[in-house]
Amino acid sequence: MTIYLYAIATLLLLSILAGLIRVLRGPRPAERMMAAQLFGTAAVAILLILSRIMDSPALLDVAVVFALLAAVTLVAFVVLASRKVS
Amino acid sequence: MTDAATLFDLLLAGSVIALAIASLTVRDMFAAIVLFVIFGLLSALAWVRLSAPDVALAEAAIGTGVTGALLLKTLHHLRYVTGKLGEGQARDLTPIATVPAGVIWANAAFCGMITLGLALAFLGAPQAGPGFDSLVAEAMPASGVDHPVTAVLLNFRAYDTLMEVVVLLAAVIAVWQIERGLSDAPAPALGEVWQGFARLTLPAIVVVGTYLLWKGSEAPGGAFQGGAVLAAVGLLLLLSRIYVPRPAHRGLARWAFVLGTGAFAGVALLVSGGGRVAFEYPAQHAYSLILLIEGLVTISIAVTLAALFHGREPVAAPAPEGRNDT
Repeated sequence: MTIYLYAIATLLLLSILAGLIRVLRGPRPAERMMAAQLFGTAAVAILLILSRIMDSPALLDVAVVFALLAAVTLVAFVVLASRKVS
Repeated sequence: MTDAATLFDLLLAGSVIALAIASLTVRDMFAAIVLFVIFGLLSALAWVRLSAPDVALAEAAIGTGVTGALLLKTLHHLRYVTGKLGEGQARDLTPIATVPAGVIWANAAFCGMITLGLALAFLGAPQAGPGFDSLVAEAMPASGVDHPVTAVLLNFRAYDTLMEVVVLLAAVIAVWQIERGLSDAPAPALGEVWQGFARLTLPAIVVVGTYLLWKGSEAPGGAFQGGAVLAAVGLLLLLSRIYVPRPAHRGLARWAFVLGTGAFAGVALLVSGGGRVAFEYPAQHAYSLILLIEGLVTISIAVTLAALFHGREPVAAPAPEGRNDT
């Protein structure tokens, strides 16, 4: 059972690494930012799986914090982009 | 099973190092910021794998909530407010200013010395020694809480933690000395998505932040994590300009800045005397005192981080010198 969970976690980590291509190549800031937002979701999924593997309920709290706060950077990005020449 | 775990850990460790290198070397500053945020995300996962959920929680709260927004605001400020990064802004491509070779080499030398010192400390430490685990476990009944990390931070090693709270206070004092002015940015038109997001998220952040503070006595959590999560509420209110700092709010803000440090130091001094030293909480009141300190420190941390994000004392600037003339 655990080996499958590790396989899923590894796959999710690989999906983050694949998404890095978009962050590095861009070309526009919005594309880089959206890729980073996607990683927040993947990190939440990895944390949920690690919480099962490591039998540590505290990791669920870390996942909640990720899920709640990931959008703060996005809001900052949107607000600052709309305020370009202030 | 161990192989699968090793594979995952190696991949994670490699990614963290690769992201660190990428965020330092990438030419576009916006990309550097995004990469740094992802670096924080993966290093939180690395802390999880090192069985340090407390650190992972702090990294998640600070890294995803405050750091990204703060760096984006800094870049925006450099590009459009002070105009220090003028060229190429139309294409959103920020050329890295050329740094003198001497500065680069001096920085490299200092970083190398730190790395060398850490390596020496690591190699010189007793291998596979018992560490302080048994000492902490032995003293736990007298600490007033059930979570070893909180016991160390708020009781056994409370003096260090007080100094960390003072660091934040010093930072906000410095920022208020350097930058003054009222923000005149217009309220952003964020639309319906924001409305729904704010209605769901802002109350949830408040609940989770308070929960982390409360939970700190028995499980990973505590004042720093709770405060950093609550600071996100302040960031969102400031960004959406639902809350706009005014000169009249400064008195209350000052009280909020010093509340944590004051209460922490006050409790430390009040419990001393009668044969006890500072921070030696009486055993029957230890839990209440730790919770009191943590609660007030949480408020201070949340308000201070939000104020640091705003980045200026809200008073009318005396005379615009070199700020708006570019």
